Amino acid sequence: MALMAAILLAGGVVLYVLLPVLTGESSPLDRLDDEATEEDSRRRVTLLALRDVEYDYVTGKLDELDYKSLRREISTEALEAMDRSASAAGTPPPASAGVATSERERLLEEEIQELRRGLKTGGLCPGCGAALAPGGHFCGRCGQALRAPPSGGDSAGTP
Amino acid sequence: MLLPVLGEFALWTALPIAIWGLVLAFLGGRWGRGDLVLSAERSVHAVTFLLVLASAGIISAFLNDQYQYWYVYNYSNRELATFYKVAGLWAGQRGSLVFWALNLAIFSSLAVYFNRARNREFMPYVVGVLLVIQAFFLIICLFVSNAFELLAFTPPDGRGLNPQLQNYWMVIHPPTLYLGFTSFSIPFAFAIAALMSGRLDARWIEVTRRWILLSWFFLANGIIFGMRWAYEELGWGGYWFWDPVENASLLPWLAATAFLHSVMIQEYRGMLKVWNMSLVILTFLLTVFATFLTRSGLIESVHSFAQNLTIAWIFLGFLAGVAVISYGLLIWRLPRLRSDQPFESFVSRESAFLLNNLILLGALFAVLWGTLFPLITEGFTGSKVAVGPPFFNQVNIPIGLALLALMGVGPVIAWRRASKRNLLRNFALPVSVGLVLTLALALGGMRHGYALATFGIGAFVLAVIVVEFWKGTQARARIEGEGSLLALFHLVSRNRRRWGGYIVHVGVVVIFMGFGGAAFDVEVRQSVLPGETISLASPYGHRYELTYEGISTSRAQNMIQWVALLQVYKDGEPVGTITSEKRQYITTQQPVSEVGIRSTLMEDLYVILATVDDMPGVFLNSPQSERATFQVMVNPLVGWIWYGALILTVGTLIALWPPRGPLRASGRGTATPGVGAAHPRGDPSPSVPAGVGG
Repeated sequence: MALMAAILLAGGVVLYVLLPVLTGESSPLDRLDDEATEEDSRRRVTLLALRDVEYDYVTGKLDELDYKSLRREISTEALEAMDRSASAAGTPPPASAGVATSERERLLEEEIQELRRGLKTGGLCPGCGAALAPGGHFCGRCGQALRAPPSGGDSAGTP
Repeated sequence: MLLPVLGEFALWTALPIAIWGLVLAFLGGRWGRGDLVLSAERSVHAVTFLLVLASAGIISAFLNDQYQYWYVYNYSNRELATFYKVAGLWAGQRGSLVFWALNLAIFSSLAVYFNRARNREFMPYVVGVLLVIQAFFLIICLFVSNAFELLAFTPPDGRGLNPQLQNYWMVIHPPTLYLGFTSFSIPFAFAIAALMSGRLDARWIEVTRRWILLSWFFLANGIIFGMRWAYEELGWGGYWFWDPVENASLLPWLAATAFLHSVMIQEYRGMLKVWNMSLVILTFLLTVFATFLTRSGLIESVHSFAQNLTIAWIFLGFLAGVAVISYGLLIWRLPRLRSDQPFESFVSRESAFLLNNLILLGALFAVLWGTLFPLITEGFTGSKVAVGPPFFNQVNIPIGLALLALMGVGPVIAWRRASKRNLLRNFALPVSVGLVLTLALALGGMRHGYALATFGIGAFVLAVIVVEFWKGTQARARIEGEGSLLALFHLVSRNRRRWGGYIVHVGVVVIFMGFGGAAFDVEVRQSVLPGETISLASPYGHRYELTYEGISTSRAQNMIQWVALLQVYKDGEPVGTITSEKRQYITTQQPVSEVGIRSTLMEDLYVILATVDDMPGVFLNSPQSERATFQVMVNPLVGWIWYGALILTVGTLIALWPPRGPLRASGRGTATPGVGAAHPRGDPSPSVPAGVGG
């Protein structure tokens, strides 16, 4: 009885583990299109820094002088990071194509405002980060189809 | 009985499956073969299934009194309550190593499942690393410390479980600590995967952010549960003795706390990449080291019942191997781990975080040194030098106070650079609160320097946190036109990590104040006959009188109890009764004490029945035989440690709570700033700043 159970157990487990090698069934190994790239991470870091400076200024942790100089520095970093991120994603970088600095800053402000709207309505596009209209099935900016989330989380690796 | 036999077979099957999986995982990652990687991922699930079966086999052997197994014979007996028979799985070295492997397997399976369609570039290496750790523990479980080892004959009964382990915390404390130890393998595996795959940005931190917090939470609670256990069960009136195994559990917690803070600098500023990698490796090594200290028998401790030192060398070899390979990979990747940005000013939040890290590591190395010093001197000189609480307290109290102060400094300093004028303005109120409390306590008669510093700095930190909540709520209410309560709710829910973190800090402050109360413990030891009274003055000024009513005896399932009853009067008013016991377990020679505790918000009345003059005579109802010696203590604020732990739990749960909305699905979304509630300092716009907007 015990021997039979042990053989069944071992056989079942070995078959389960070996099957992919025998049948060629495989796991994906490449990053999915909508996952963050290294350029996205850098862009995120700079935008976070920009928002931190805003918060520190509003709550009285930064002087106006420091605030303005920091904001100028980080805005430049943020714009460069956004350009790199856009290039990596295959979309034309708005800034590198000779767009004026003021125009780039306007784009940054727009992006920030969109993020703000997205946070208020609870949704941002997984592809481009734009704010989503409530109940929409596609992103209004990049056209990405919005699907139901798999059972992960914002970081699918988290418990 | 089929289950133990199948369990042992499952354990033997798990090892080749784990080895197969780890080889295929690394090969699959290297060659880009998805089929090999899938087979490796299935190996993880298969090992989990097999370890569940093995654990069920051990528990079944305990429940069915199968004393032919060495492990069951040594840690159980027929009279043992079912509750503790189930907990027998982690009562001794052999079972607890299987339990370690089981926890690791479950966490590994969860990591593989959650990442089945995400973070795929990391996964082959994550699976490989996890299976290497798993294979190591399986080798130990099978060849060095096998829970299924059979005796040459079947004894009629077992030797029973150590009486000190027969406490309900036995069912709670070790598993919680083990959950902390094992779950940290996941961030470690992702860090190594980042080094191996070359994806060295902050993605591995984003992916494992909640794992890190979860591990830290389990470690923190595991330590506090252990303190509570010691306080209730060990019967000396304290909760922490700087015992080697207590220290061993503290070490990874200190490293994890440093890591938890320094990852934020990498996330926000792209700095400290090498430091973070070093810390995650160090924390993992310390979790294994803690397991090694607990279960190797190398250092004598109340926790350590093992005799076999072979296991110690194997553990040391594994630790050395992991350290060499991990730090080797780190050195190999050094050129690609340069910081994106430099430190701009010493007066900045990142500097405060770095200082926090350095102090935490200072504490870590002091504790590590004090723990290992007796062992090292014994190795060189042959004689053991005891390092006791005075050394640890002398070193760690100032370090703890410095850390406490930094908890108040960090939130007030701006990132990058802060101006002195603003610092002075932001610190004025909290520092005043701290000074006023310190002064009031000093004027009230408190003369203990460290205690005064603890309460003063604690009040400063609490004031900082209250002001932060107030400013955030006011800013949000003003910008969004919300009522204060709604603004507070949105403030916290939109950036749970930050505000949950502040609540954790409140919990830590309350715990520290509980520690501070220990400076004023008072105690009296007195031998009394029934009808006589023990008198003791509380440090708050009131007086306790305990009238000894006598001893009653009873026989429980596996022991005899002598229960002393005392009437308690506070300033002459009766406030209830308290009982304290001696227990004689049938499997042991020495009786053990069960303390009586009467807890209030401000103090604990703690009664230890130290000795009974004539324990057998009590059965004959002779009054003289009931003469007993009691040790009575008043421990101020000790309850604050447990209340602080509750606050810490609430804060951690807030920080851990997952965000809502479609962003949960998105990797790219996580790279976008301000992505909802769980995002660190995810302030949404210049006009609605960090942590305020939403």
